[in-house]
Amino acid sequence: MEKGIIFDIKEFTVHDGDGIRTTVFLKGCPLRCLWCHNPEGLRTERQLMITRNGCLSCGKCLLPCSHPECQGLGRCLHACPRGLVKAVGEEVDATELASRLAEQAEFFESGVTVSGGEPTMQPAFLLELLDGLGSVDTAIETCGYTAPDIFRRAAEKVQMLYLDIKHMDSAVHQKLTGVPNEPIQRNLEMLMRGNIPYTVRVPLIPGLNDNAENLSRLAEKLSGSRLPPKVEFLPYNPFTEAKYQMAQMPFSLSHIDGNQYHPVIPEEPYRRYGVCWRIL
Amino acid sequence: MTERIQNLLSLIRSGKHHIYRHKISYRPVEELARCNMPDEERSAERLREVLEAQEPIILPGQRILFLRTAENLPDIFTETEWEKIYKSNFIHEHSRVCNICPNYEKTIRRGLLAEKERCAQAKNGASPSEIRWLNCVEKSIDAILNFAERYRQKALELGMAEEAAILKRVPAYGASTFREALQFFRILHFTLWCEGEYQNTLGRFDQYMFPYLEKDLAAGRLNEEEAFELLEEFFLTFNLDNDLYPGIQQGDNGQSLMLGGVIPGSGGKDGFNLLSDMCLQASGELLVIDPKINLRVSSRTPLSVYEKGTRLTKAGLGFPQYSNDDVVIEGLVKKGYRREDAENYTVAACWEFIIPEYGMEIPNIGAVNFPELINRTISEHLEESRSYEEFYHFFTEALNHNCAEINDNIQSIYMVPAPFMSLLMADCIENRRDISFGNRYNNFGYHGVGISSAVDSLAVVKKCIFTEKSLTKQQALSIVRGDADSALLARLRYEEPKFGDGDAWVNDIAVTLCHDFAKATENLRNIRGGCVRAGTGSAMFYLWYAEHVGSMLSGHCKGEAFSANYAPELFVRNKGPLSVISSLTAPDFTEVANGGPLTMEFHSSVFRDEDGTEKVARLVYQFIRHGGLQLQLNSVNRKTLLEAQRDPDSYRNLIVRIWGWSAYFVELDREFQDHVIARQEFQV
Repeated sequence: MEKGIIFDIKEFTVHDGDGIRTTVFLKGCPLRCLWCHNPEGLRTERQLMITRNGCLSCGKCLLPCSHPECQGLGRCLHACPRGLVKAVGEEVDATELASRLAEQAEFFESGVTVSGGEPTMQPAFLLELLDGLGSVDTAIETCGYTAPDIFRRAAEKVQMLYLDIKHMDSAVHQKLTGVPNEPIQRNLEMLMRGNIPYTVRVPLIPGLNDNAENLSRLAEKLSGSRLPPKVEFLPYNPFTEAKYQMAQMPFSLSHIDGNQYHPVIPEEPYRRYGVCWRIL
Repeated sequence: MTERIQNLLSLIRSGKHHIYRHKISYRPVEELARCNMPDEERSAERLREVLEAQEPIILPGQRILFLRTAENLPDIFTETEWEKIYKSNFIHEHSRVCNICPNYEKTIRRGLLAEKERCAQAKNGASPSEIRWLNCVEKSIDAILNFAERYRQKALELGMAEEAAILKRVPAYGASTFREALQFFRILHFTLWCEGEYQNTLGRFDQYMFPYLEKDLAAGRLNEEEAFELLEEFFLTFNLDNDLYPGIQQGDNGQSLMLGGVIPGSGGKDGFNLLSDMCLQASGELLVIDPKINLRVSSRTPLSVYEKGTRLTKAGLGFPQYSNDDVVIEGLVKKGYRREDAENYTVAACWEFIIPEYGMEIPNIGAVNFPELINRTISEHLEESRSYEEFYHFFTEALNHNCAEINDNIQSIYMVPAPFMSLLMADCIENRRDISFGNRYNNFGYHGVGISSAVDSLAVVKKCIFTEKSLTKQQALSIVRGDADSALLARLRYEEPKFGDGDAWVNDIAVTLCHDFAKATENLRNIRGGCVRAGTGSAMFYLWYAEHVGSMLSGHCKGEAFSANYAPELFVRNKGPLSVISSLTAPDFTEVANGGPLTMEFHSSVFRDEDGTEKVARLVYQFIRHGGLQLQLNSVNRKTLLEAQRDPDSYRNLIVRIWGWSAYFVELDREFQDHVIARQEFQV
């Protein structure tokens, strides 16, 4: 009966696996990627999300209230006439959540993907959730920054694993995400040696990690994979900043205009090393 | 798209062909009144006048002819005569035959001379009044033949020998090729509008037209590319004059075309064919609002057909609208339709199910205002109710009363006779009876407006008032009266359960409500002996009724628009499309099968790649598999819509789905535009 913290359940996610899917987002992540488009998934604690668009500036949410669920947030969650003030971070029971998701998956003949945040940050919850989903087609999307044992156990329970690779150079990785990349690379190597279907995902951030050298190094690395390697590139999301405003968190990449971004993939090394790729 | 079609499309979009239109001064209607001309004779005479006033115009590149040049249609009755008619009759909309589906194909196959002979034969043993009516049909046929001959002469003048040769054969004789059949269809459909009928639907076009195409392809007379070009031009003919057709907004003209579905009497065999596929492709390539594409599917339809449909959804027209054969056919059979007729169903102007050639249904004759019934029950009976069950009982009494009342108000219905339309409907000639008096099926349909608002309000009554006791009856009354504090309304609006969130107990309320709606109409018989069909559509009432309903326990604010048709409330942000589908497929739609789709909007990025298209196709399949009735999917981009409001000139061709039809966004009134923008948009 493991408890975990989630910040969203999104139905009909188009890019998170085969067929119709629902994605569960676990709260908390060891990385602090500058471009993270789920800033509300970084910390494990419950936090406020305030939609600014439509705010009447009436101040009602600032008035003190006695609702237990509002304590410590600095706002009342029930006072907004437009319903714009919300808290994210719900504690759920893994078995109960699994049964709810499995029921829906049976109804729609669909699958479930566990993402985040970083799902392996709550390993016991994650494993129990995956176990509870039984025969449902499952996938996880992970940054790979976790102990090899946890990574392996989670990977063995799913039909597809999406591993995010942010940068091949550990020093740059440290600068962009706050952590070195060796643990991630070790887990990638484990996948490359094994039989678990996986796809590498690379967020493409203009000027930060989308240079030909970095992307070519990834292709070269994947050339040693036992299963045919696949890479999906995710161009920078131009709407990222909006969520930082909602979460009242600073965003350091405001200067990047994602609307005009047309990434260039160095096709030759990908061809040479037999790595399939596509841009989502 | 060929250059010729591209040029025609540009010409139609520019509206340059409107220069050929003229306002016509017809013979004053008083003259008809003075000589006491019978109604059916007036219809035939007016049709003759209209066709005579038409000028044969052939646009550059046109191969399928007939263009409306007479802008206006003449009156049938004087104002005094109308007053008299209104006094003693129920008048539905414009008093004309509308929203039905003729059998074009029989006439296309036979030719008008043979149809005239059919009329002549029907005169054997007929009464003088019947003979008079049959003469009117013949007069209409003659008027068409004369007009077609004038077009033929015009074609000859312009050196268009091929077109002239086609007009020598059709409409006088039966069509023998695909092209002749399309030309013949255009003439028949054109004439219906001239006679004054409206919402003239097209029916199962791919079923009745396919044999012509198949024969031409087999004989090598046409190849698929040539056939596709002809089809695209044919589709464009529905956009030549559609700004002249009556409707609530431009685009609401009922030119609905049905594709696919069970072949009647085949034991369930699906009729999706090459022509069905071509129609989907033509619509997606032309990107015009007519014809409106509908697709019949079932749990046995292959995923590939759903994928073809989804590719059209991606084009952003709001087409196709899906109807579920598994549910509709059983629903119609339950209402007394013969199975072979039920299997041949099509849709009326928007989504109501009608039977081609045999149906003189009026599927939109009334509309139950569910939000108003709920609020009235709260005002009048909440205080005395000791339980939710007691409260709900009062509500069903109000519902039963309302349904009976609508029926009682239709004591005598009058429609202007339509001799020419009658020619295209089954048995009218043989029975010597105008279609305006009815046919095999004379059933009426009631829309069910604001079902989600009603379900959400009932959920609050059940949970907050009677179970949790977190809302007092006095607070509930204050909301309905409009003097509740805004925080209370906001709490109900954003924090209480909503229909569409997949909660079983809320779904159960909807299941019961739909069942009770069906029961409320079950024993009603209309003035023509037909039954009454309950449905989940709203038509324009989602806006019209909103003006008169106060705030609701669902958190709905006074004056706010309801959701169009059958969808969660506009302000509700549900858990997602899966929850919406699992909730909204819960009722037994074989009981409420008048029609009325679930409408869902997806952000255009969902369709960006083939993955998204395949997944949407799977989602539609799941909707059908779980007994959903009808589904409209829109690919929208709110940002684009807002830009179009700011800069309409740059978005003249932007098309959106309204309630059962699609329209050019910038041509809609602001309230309709705002409603589209406010709808829940599911993103990737």
